[in-house]
Amino acid sequence: MATLNEKKTCSERMENFRRFVWNPETKLFMGRTVINWVWISLYYLAFYVVMSGLFALCIYSLMRTVNPYEPDYQDQLKSPGVTLRPDVYGDRGLQIYYNVSDNKTWEGLVTTLQTFLTAYTPAAQHLNINCTSDTYFIQDTFDGPNKTKLSCKFTSDMLQNCSGITDPTFGFPEGKPCFIIKMNRIIKFLPGNGTAPRVNCTYVVSAQANRAAFLLYTQGDESRPLEVDYYPMNGTFNLHYFPYYGKKAQPSYSNPLVAVKFLNITRNVELRIVCKIIGAGITFDNVHDPYEGKVEFKLKIED
Amino acid sequence: IQDDHKLSTSELEEKYGTSINKGLSSARAAEILARDGPNSLTPPKATPEIVKFLKQMVGGFSILLWIGAVFSWISFGIQLSQGAESAFDNLYLGVVLALVVILTGIFAYYQEAKSTNIMASFSKMIPQQALVIRDAEKKELPADQLVVGDIVEIKGGDRIPADIRLIFTQGCKVDNSSLTGESEPQSRSCDFTHENPLETRNIAFYSTTCVEGTATGIVINTGDRTIIGRIASLASGVGNEKTPIAIEIEHFVYLVAGVAISIGVLFFIISVSMRYKILDSIIFLIGIIVANVPEGLLATVTVSLSLTAKRMAKKNCLVKNLEAVETLGSTSIICSDKTGTLTQNRMTVAHLWFDNQIYSADTSEDQTTQPFDQSSPSWTALSKIVTLCNRAEFRPGQENLPIMKRVVVGDASETALLKFAEVIVGDVMNIRAQNKKVAEIPFNSTNKFQLSIHETDDPNDKRFLLVMKGAPERILERCSTIMINGKEEPLDSEKAEAFQTAYMELGGMGERVLGFCHLYLPENEFPDTYPFDTDSMNFPTSNLCFVGLLSMIDPPRSTVPDAVSKCRSAGIKVIMVTGDHPITAKAIAKSVGIISATSETVEDIAKRLNIPVEQVNRREATAAVVNGMELKDMSLQQLDEILCNHSEIVFARTSPQQKLIIVEGCQRQGAVVAVTGDGVNDSPALKKADIGIAMGIAGSDAAKNAADMVLLDDNFASIVTGVEEGRLIFDNLKKTIAYTLTKNIAELCPFLIYIIASIPMPIGTITILFIDLGTDIIPSVALAYEKAESDIMNRRPRNKKKDRLVNEQLAVYSYLQIGIIQSVGAFVTYFTVYAEQGFLPSTLLGVRVNWENNAINDFEDSYGQQWTKYQRTYLQWTGYTAFFVSITIQQVADLIIRKTRRNSIFRQGLFRNKVIWVGIFSQIGIALILTYGLGHVTALNFTPLRFQYWFVAVPFAILIWVYDEVRKLFIRRYPGSWWDKNMYY
Repeated sequence: MATLNEKKTCSERMENFRRFVWNPETKLFMGRTVINWVWISLYYLAFYVVMSGLFALCIYSLMRTVNPYEPDYQDQLKSPGVTLRPDVYGDRGLQIYYNVSDNKTWEGLVTTLQTFLTAYTPAAQHLNINCTSDTYFIQDTFDGPNKTKLSCKFTSDMLQNCSGITDPTFGFPEGKPCFIIKMNRIIKFLPGNGTAPRVNCTYVVSAQANRAAFLLYTQGDESRPLEVDYYPMNGTFNLHYFPYYGKKAQPSYSNPLVAVKFLNITRNVELRIVCKIIGAGITFDNVHDPYEGKVEFKLKIED
Repeated sequence: IQDDHKLSTSELEEKYGTSINKGLSSARAAEILARDGPNSLTPPKATPEIVKFLKQMVGGFSILLWIGAVFSWISFGIQLSQGAESAFDNLYLGVVLALVVILTGIFAYYQEAKSTNIMASFSKMIPQQALVIRDAEKKELPADQLVVGDIVEIKGGDRIPADIRLIFTQGCKVDNSSLTGESEPQSRSCDFTHENPLETRNIAFYSTTCVEGTATGIVINTGDRTIIGRIASLASGVGNEKTPIAIEIEHFVYLVAGVAISIGVLFFIISVSMRYKILDSIIFLIGIIVANVPEGLLATVTVSLSLTAKRMAKKNCLVKNLEAVETLGSTSIICSDKTGTLTQNRMTVAHLWFDNQIYSADTSEDQTTQPFDQSSPSWTALSKIVTLCNRAEFRPGQENLPIMKRVVVGDASETALLKFAEVIVGDVMNIRAQNKKVAEIPFNSTNKFQLSIHETDDPNDKRFLLVMKGAPERILERCSTIMINGKEEPLDSEKAEAFQTAYMELGGMGERVLGFCHLYLPENEFPDTYPFDTDSMNFPTSNLCFVGLLSMIDPPRSTVPDAVSKCRSAGIKVIMVTGDHPITAKAIAKSVGIISATSETVEDIAKRLNIPVEQVNRREATAAVVNGMELKDMSLQQLDEILCNHSEIVFARTSPQQKLIIVEGCQRQGAVVAVTGDGVNDSPALKKADIGIAMGIAGSDAAKNAADMVLLDDNFASIVTGVEEGRLIFDNLKKTIAYTLTKNIAELCPFLIYIIASIPMPIGTITILFIDLGTDIIPSVALAYEKAESDIMNRRPRNKKKDRLVNEQLAVYSYLQIGIIQSVGAFVTYFTVYAEQGFLPSTLLGVRVNWENNAINDFEDSYGQQWTKYQRTYLQWTGYTAFFVSITIQQVADLIIRKTRRNSIFRQGLFRNKVIWVGIFSQIGIALILTYGLGHVTALNFTPLRFQYWFVAVPFAILIWVYDEVRKLFIRRYPGSWWDKNMYY
């Protein structure tokens, strides 16, 4: 046993290693003859080529089996997510802070909105058709060009006061800012069960513990609710934008939007506001997902 | 030792301040006790429990995992200060890693402690009592209270309580075998007989036993200062060497840690140069380490070893140190004791000579029949002498025990004769009662015979029968006639010659020969009332009638020859080391096969060729019998030469100290040496040996302490079954390790691909831990139950430098072949899950940054659908689960292929090892519970997976099986080929 426990000096180890790399007596390179290395490399080369081929074959047949128009399952997409524009994220989610008197603080927000709405100019929407029906736009056949389905037009002017056309600053300098609420696309999702889903924004009053803060928001007036203007009318998403048939079927589809304009925001107070989408089939009570069926954000307007 | 043996009684009294009649006073004794301490051996220093425990916490892979945990905490700290939401994940990961280390550490510690406890029970001795004279009174005291100067009385059967200078003896004999290894009892007297205190007769040593007689003596040494105490402390000086399996596991840990660290560092550099944040790169590093380290493996190895240890304990090998299980398997030389290990440790009648003919007696453990011819009237006469001229008696109350198991009062030869007679002629005690003894002269060393005179049991025969036994030549001298076929014939020179030949032949077999003769005393000269006087010997003791010879030997255990031949075919050299006479040693060696029938020693060749010993070519002799005296004068080179050149070696008349020299000699040859021993003096050799085997019955506590293993039945054959188990566990550990290492690649690849291709993370660190410490544990233990593929006792012991536990082939085959197939299978499942949920493979590449961005809650998939962060994360967990399930499914195939390394699975039998199936079911059961039972606990990152995804990897599992069958087929078909060399692990 003693022989195995001999401590080797560093130079001995180096020497051993050198011998391992190239042993001139046995002509072994790293423990093998060169020809042996060639064989083993060839074997592994062949092995990996075969394995890569197998993998490619599997992926190929996978691609052959999936439906190009819609995914096989929507296990995670039971209820649509909701997003807000402008979207500025802080440590704990969305937070929109700006100072009315300092236009540098809100110009970025306005630009975000303007950029976002460029996708909704009449020019950008020219491929889509005008829809007037207030029911689901069910298309069982491919009526559009190149085997596609038709999409309904949504142009920014539908957002009226928040369209950026009449007021390019979206009410930010007045302290009555516009926000755009967008619902995520889910293929073949029919929200509202026949009634158009609508956006509803309120202060967040989750518990009595927040009561003091709530009173602060409302300046002591408990009955003073959040005053909101919704565009289009009533803050609804018209049913003719649903269902969505997927990127391949509706390449020019664009999400319908709802703009909200807050009219009575208390200055210099951080407010927590939540905008929920009310409608059958849309849930907003998933404790893990703060963006499912609702969007919550902090708003602070300073002067 | 001092010169106490030379001093006279009065000088001794003076020196120790004691009195032979009164002893010490209690007060004085208490004083000395306070000065010298109790009369017991200090137990060897044990490692403190806390140190053992901490060792488990830092040994093996623990360090790597600690590093992982510390990195996790560091990144937690940094992320927390940056206010990131996900910071706590890292805190938990660190805690989990630390828990893993601590739990496996506790487990290993517990296993160790359990096996040590078995031994602890051994060392607890029953407190010994000693009869001491103190304050002029005889007192029973616990032996550890004895002090120097105490007067103690000893009688037959006692253990000597300290080193004692004898001042009064009566027929005292001691068994010094625990000290010198010599099993023959030695007589003790008050006389100073030898300069060397170890040889002189007037000193009795601590821990030896008094066999018969009584004695009184002065205690001259106590506790650690006794001869035995000094040897015991010598033994603890011999360092503990690492066991071969410990070296193998260390080698394996280095290998895996090396792979883990180099891949980790390599990818750390890659990820930094790919402009990942340092913090992210550190998290990748943790993932890579966790994926690479088989967390559960060391615990599995411990369990496998302790399972084998349990199995060995059932076969009478009690393993003290778990790792010794495997050491036994790699043993290449066994140095075995003779007495008790190879032999039955009891004298037994082996041969008889009467009517000019030698008969063999049955010497097996349970002599039920004696095959030799019992019809001759000479035998009747001989049996009568054997029965009557014998002082040994059975202890009463053992009528129901088999004769061979009964306890006898009397010395070894007389016991042998008594049992022999009891087996053949039946109730000896009754016969003796019917042939009333009227006079007796017990055996003594001057006249070398034993004689008794009996009435006969024939009521018509009023003659007295004189029976005598003793050293054959002495008996023959006293005879004038010899009995042939029941008739007395004159003892002429021809018949004396026949006697000589028989005597020589029996003696040459290493047997102890006794002669028997008798004489019917004429009725007229010796009437009923004749006053026999043994002092004046008023009866004839010459011109007797010689009846026959009986020879006795301590016969080999019946299982030993088979065990020795098994060792031989297993490439293990068996060396006999004994204190006995060379002739006896050689005879036993021949009869058990240590020296095979055809091989000759140098002396044998010399005798055959009729040339002087010096002229014999030493290389021609395969066997050698080396005398302890010769060994004493040998140089190390000469010893090496003998060990090297002869395959069959017997060392006779060796002292236990020489055993150490022999063991070291064997180790110089590069052998893994197992040594058996029972005496205290054997403990240095037991310690020095790679595996010390102590005798459970005959062994002293010191020997058991020094040994790694205890043979509960003292039987050599048990060692061989132990070797078999040890070899099996080595093979099975290979399989376990190969099984465990394979999936590490499937766990590692996700990280590498994640870093390089920026796909969503395929498997989480926690999930990996669930594989390593969940689904994989029971299957890898199940491989320990696998039966041997071929006769493992037909191959040579493993070369500890070449046959590594984890060799290059094993690592490469597991990592780069099966591991890769597994990874591909798992990735196919991963891509399938993502594709069917909306993310086609092409979309996934390069997606990582946005995918993980908390601020993107309308992330678009391949179909234009939009996902929130949580929806993506949930899908990612589904991917983890799918990846996990695929690895589990493929590990089932991996488990099945690992059942054999060479043979086809179908030859080994799919269902022979039931535990494997327990493993497979547990594996799938745990996976089902994790996926569907705990799928809603978000912290565990499992989701209830759609059932069809369980089957995506099945074709790959089948591929693994088929590929491995092909590998094994080629290995069997083309032994020694390139394929065999590269693919067989």
